This record gives sequence, structure tokens and C-alpha cells, in this order.
Amino acid sequence: MTDAIDVDSASVWPDDADDVDEGYLANWFVREGSAVDEGETIGEMQVEKVSIDVTAPTNGTVTEILVAEGGEFTRGDVLARIQPSA
Amino acid sequence: MVSVTEMQTMYEQMVTARYYEERLQEEYLVGKQPAFDISAGPIPGELHLAAGHESSGAGVCIHLRDDDTVTAPHRPHHIAIAKGVDLKKMTAEIFGRETGLCRGKGGHMHLFDPDVNFACSGIIAQGCPPAVGAAMAAKKRNTDSVAVAFLGEGAIDQGGFLESLNLAAVQDLPVVFVIEDNDWAISMPKDRVTDVEDGSRRAWGFDMPGERVDSDDAVAVYEAAEKAIMRARDGNGPSLIEVQVHRRMGHFMGDAEAYRPEADIERAKQRDSIERLADDLRAHGVEDDELDEIRERAHERVDEAIAWAKEQPEPDPSTAYENVFTNPPAQTATDGGANTSDASSDGDEGGDR
Amino acid sequence: MATESRDYTEATETDRELTMSRAMVEAIAWEMRENEEVFYMGEDVADYGGIFSSTTGLLDEFGRDRVMDVPISETAYLGAAVGAAQAGMRPIAELMFVDFFGVAMDQIYNNMAKNTYMSGGSFSVPMVLTTAVGGTYNDAGQHSQTLYGTFAHLPGMKVVVPSTAYDAKGLMHSAIRDDDPVVYMFHKRLMGLGWMPSPPGPKTGVPEEDYTIPFGEADIKRHGSDVTVVTLGLHVHRALDAASQLEDDGIDAEVVDLRTLVPLDTETILDSVRKTGKLLVVDEDYQSFGVTGEIIARAAEGALDDLSAVKRLAIPDVPIPYARSLEDEVNPGTDDIAAAIRELHE
Repeated sequence: MTDAIDVDSASVWPDDADDVDEGYLANWFVREGSAVDEGETIGEMQVEKVSIDVTAPTNGTVTEILVAEGGEFTRGDVLARIQPSA
Repeated sequence: MVSVTEMQTMYEQMVTARYYEERLQEEYLVGKQPAFDISAGPIPGELHLAAGHESSGAGVCIHLRDDDTVTAPHRPHHIAIAKGVDLKKMTAEIFGRETGLCRGKGGHMHLFDPDVNFACSGIIAQGCPPAVGAAMAAKKRNTDSVAVAFLGEGAIDQGGFLESLNLAAVQDLPVVFVIEDNDWAISMPKDRVTDVEDGSRRAWGFDMPGERVDSDDAVAVYEAAEKAIMRARDGNGPSLIEVQVHRRMGHFMGDAEAYRPEADIERAKQRDSIERLADDLRAHGVEDDELDEIRERAHERVDEAIAWAKEQPEPDPSTAYENVFTNPPAQTATDGGANTSDASSDGDEGGDR
Repeated sequence: MATESRDYTEATETDRELTMSRAMVEAIAWEMRENEEVFYMGEDVADYGGIFSSTTGLLDEFGRDRVMDVPISETAYLGAAVGAAQAGMRPIAELMFVDFFGVAMDQIYNNMAKNTYMSGGSFSVPMVLTTAVGGTYNDAGQHSQTLYGTFAHLPGMKVVVPSTAYDAKGLMHSAIRDDDPVVYMFHKRLMGLGWMPSPPGPKTGVPEEDYTIPFGEADIKRHGSDVTVVTLGLHVHRALDAASQLEDDGIDAEVVDLRTLVPLDTETILDSVRKTGKLLVVDEDYQSFGVTGEIIARAAEGALDDLSAVKRLAIPDVPIPYARSLEDEVNPGTDDIAAAIRELHE
């Protein structure tokens, strides 16, 4: 079994928010156990009042949601983990 | 001709207004970081700050007396300050306190101060017709009071504004319309919503004088406003002025301005009417010490107003039912009793999370 | 007539949940792809994507010809939507806040709402007027109203008020396909905006394919046998919260979400009232001459013998005040609803 893949907040961080490190998880559109496709919008985060879609890095199943809806995080924090489908 | 004293007065009002917006921004963001929740913190709801608009309020209102009427739009603080609205009560209103100008019922977009005949309101061009009405009253009563309606450049496409121009013109009413052109109607740049670059040309269609002040020069605003207000006061009818200003803090707090080119934001920040007026004052021999003193006085006044406002009591919920009428009917349709059990069921201060 | 309440997450084929704003936009985009005659116009709907995210992403896909920012001239552009609709197109025109209706009411209620009737049916006005409604975020009297009753009162407009993402999408498909003018009133607090967090209820599973929800079908969001709560919009969720609070006390409330005011699903209300005998109507609009009075009148006309107790909660005929303590006082909260249900149950 391959390792779960991180949904990394840094990888979706907006270019024009380089001076900021705090984010806020506004919405999840999936739950643990949800099947997702690569590129699918699975959540929405907010940085400096701008909403940014969080997309799935791979096809698979969401195994862990690490930052809860309404939760705050720092750039680089892992938001969720996805187990790639075989 | 503007005097150095008048320039100093304008400068004081402008630095007061700028610092006021900076301080309100700080207070507004309390409880709203890093997650921005519009209903959280000591100042909830929308907040439209006027940093970059100061020359317009100061340059126009310096010609006004307490008996002259001003209506302002949703971005009102700099105008209120220049018109002499009670700063403490205005601040208490913005904080939603019982001793605020409107007993906590209006908030920052809806400030009313009868002592200096000031009102502002939240819907585009809404203040134009009432300003015409104030001018009508002045004319009928044979006073030499005037009225000034401030509006944004986004409002010049609105029927309420255009109809007001016509009514004021045909009745020769003592009213001046002041367009504050900050280039943006929320996300819509002026050139995408009107083919007329110079908004003061709207006046031509109503046979009314129109003048555009194409810079952040408070003295130029002063001069254009002087002409228009004297004309109104002398019974010669209405005028329209457009003033170029800049939007330095977004449409409202929380507006990330993702639609706005970075260069435009930078340009707005570089053009500073306050610095320009300070240079003018220095050229007239005013020492830096004096400017510092003015600034310190202004900051102190703002800090005092904010500190005072925060100590004021929250309105008692029962006052929600008061002031619907000046002469309340003995029995209104609703007795107001339906919701008197604990209505704050949303729990924490963050609202409905 | 009511559809059964459902577990939305199970009912959908995907694992996907959406906010109400995303569900709305998905329906609009689908209809725009299918039908060239559909276009969207309003203030800040293009680059901004709608102040309440009602059009996010539409400009990128459809361009400025079909997603149009317009000048702040509501009379002109709402009236233009009427004209374009009468010419056979299917415009969607957004009024940023419903409170701004006053600026353009003539076009809304004299043209949009009446032209079908006054032309003896020779014209149709197949447009959608989308608009943001509601308070709870301290924006005071000119930006916090719902005005549900005002629009529902004037004949000729269908009036839609979704409370969940699932309903929002299906009702939007129906609205755009409808040959009559539809006023689609979305509650800001339910849209799922990062900067105005929603309660947990409105985000639901939403199928990816298109589907319609017929107008005039209320949805029983919670079945119960003791007290009927009829409501709409944000207060569906407050009523559901109140109902689950009361569960432990053995009070079983039924929550009926009207979903559309015009047409109004009287049958579902009457069926529920016949079952429970007790009716509470909860509304975020002004109390007098409005939705609460209408629902109670219909219940009285249709099921008077079954009714043993009636109550209503609404904005008590005052403008919406700014300060938090004042707005909370006048806007019916979960505790108010729970107390009213309890009182009816006794």
C-alpha cells in the first residue's frame, strides 16, 4: 500500500500572500472516507481575507482531516491526508 | 483665497480623519483575525473607511456653517469630522453603544447629528434628494443656508442623483453636489460603467455649472467649493463638483481587492493629499513643529473619542422598540413582547456560527 | 405534496458536499452552458464574483458578454432584464441587497410582475431576480431585511427562499427554466462564506448532475408529532436546533421549510397542523401583514377545527437595529423558538 499523500497548505498558498503565515479553514466539501478525484475542490481556505480553493493532489480516499472547519493553521501545515487509489 | 489659518484647519481635519480611519481599522480587526468574521469583534457589520478621501471633506466643509446641511454616503467619516459632528458620540455609535449618535440603531453608515445638520446613509445616491429638500426648506424660509450632498463616482449613474440635479436646477435651489471620484465602485472601474470620464459634465445636461478638481489638492477643492457654495448662498442655484480622491483601504474592511491591479493600489497610496497640504503649509512658512503639534492634537482627540466610546454602555435590548415613531401610537400592531425572552440565542459574540 | 425529508449526504451519489453559494453557481453555470439565452447581470458579479459569492467563477467560463457588471442603476438594469426576458432571453439579474429594491421597485412590481397579466398573457417575463437577504451580522436597517412578505404580497412573482445547498441548486434550475419572473432570495448567513460563517445545516450533499425542485413543495426538514413549526431561510436551521434541544424533554416538533412562498404549499402545512394541532410560524421578516399572518390565515381557513394553539415569531415591526444587543433582541433566536414551541406544547 502506498503512503497517504498530504494536502499541504503551502502548496495552495496564494502568491500575493507571501508575507502572511496564518490561514483559516472556511469549508470542507468532503469528509473522512470521501472518494475524491485529483484536482477536485475539496475545501476552501482563507488567507488575508481571500478565499482559496483547496484541491485534491491525487485520486483517492480522504483518510484524515487534520484541520477542522473553522480552524486556524500556519502555512505548511497539512490540512488533510488522502490515500491514493490503486 | 485660502488663508494659512484655513489651510491649517483643513490639515487638522484631514489628519484627524486619516488617523481616525487607521484607529478604526485596528479596532475593527479585533476578534476578526486570522479568521475574518464580519459579525465578530467590537465593531461588527460593514465598515467603509475613507482614507484617501480627506481633501474632499475638509476642502468643502470648511465653507459650511452648522445650519448648512450635509448628506454623506456610506463612506462618511471624513465628511462627518469636517462638518463638526460630535466625534465621541459618532464613535460610540460605530461601536454600537447606547450613547452613540443614534442610540446604537444606525451604525457607521447611518450617522445622524442634528446639531450640525449631518446625515449619511447606506444606499447609493440616497442622500441626494434629502439634500435638495434641505435646500428647498432654506429657500422657502429665506435663510441663506445651503445643502451639500456628497456621493461617490459610482453613484452618478443612479436615478436618484440625476433626478436631484434636475429638480435642484429647475428650482434654483441652494445645493452643491460633490462627487468623490475614487475610481472604483467596489470592483467596477469608472470607465466600465460610464462613458463620461469627467463626472462634473453630468451638470451640463441640467444647465448647471460643473467643475472637476483633478488632483488631491485640498486647496484646489477649497477653491472650487468656495465658488459653488457662495453661488448657492447668494441665491444663484446649484452646482456640481467632482473631486479626484483615492481609495486606500478597499471598498469595505474585508475586501481583499483581488480585482484591483497592484499598481493601482500603489498609486493610490503614493498620492497623499495630506502630505501635499503639509508641503503647501511649509511653503507658506509653517514650521514642522507646528505641523507636529496639529497632528498630535488630532491623534489625542481621536484616541480620546475611541477610549470614551468603548466605555459606553451597550444599549438595553428593550430600547430596540423605541423611536419607531416620534409620536408612538398608543397600541402598535406588534406589542414587541414576542421576542422578549432571551433573544441572543446565537451564543457567543461571533454571531451565528 | 411535501417531499420526504432526507439525509442529504446519503441521498447523493457523490461524497461531495457544497456550500449554498457553490450549489447556486453550479446550477447557473449548467443552465448557461445549456442555453445561450441565459445571461447574468448585476453589480460586482463579474470580477468580484458577487459580493456574497453568487457568481464566483462565472466570468472566467462565460466572459463579459454573459456575465455583466452593470452601472449602479438598478432601475435601468432590472428594467432591462424585463425587456430582454420579454424578447425571449432568460436573464438573471442580481440586486445586491434586497434592501435596495426601493431604488427600482417600479420595474420590479409594475413591469416584471405585471406584464404577463396586463398583456393578457401575450408576453412572458422568464427572468430570475437574485438577491441577498437577511441580517445577523449587524449591518443595520438598510442592509439586513428579508422582505419576504413584500415580494410574496405583490402578485405576479414566484418567490423562492432556499435553506440548504441541495435545495438551492434544484430551485435555481427550476427558477431559470421557469417562464415566469422568479425572485430568488438567498440568505447571506447561509451561503457558506468564509467571512460570514454559516451554521452547520446549509452545507449538504449536492449531486453533480442537474435536477429540479418543483415550486410549491414545502420540505419537512424534521418530522414530529407535537408541534408544527413553519419557517424558511435561516430560521429553518434555528428551528431545527430548537427542535433537537427539545427532544430530551420529550417534545417532538415538526419543522416545515416552505422553500417557496409563491406558490405556497398550503397542503403540507395543513397536513402537519391536522397532525399536531399546534402551529408556530417563524419568520425573519416584519411581523405584521406578512408571512406569519398568511400562514396562520391559511391554517385557520383550512384546518380551524384541528388547531388548538397558534404562535408566531418575527421581526416585531421595527427596522433592523445596528447594535448586536438590539439586533439579537428583534431577530427570533433558537431559544425564542424553543420557548415558543414549549409554550405551545403545554
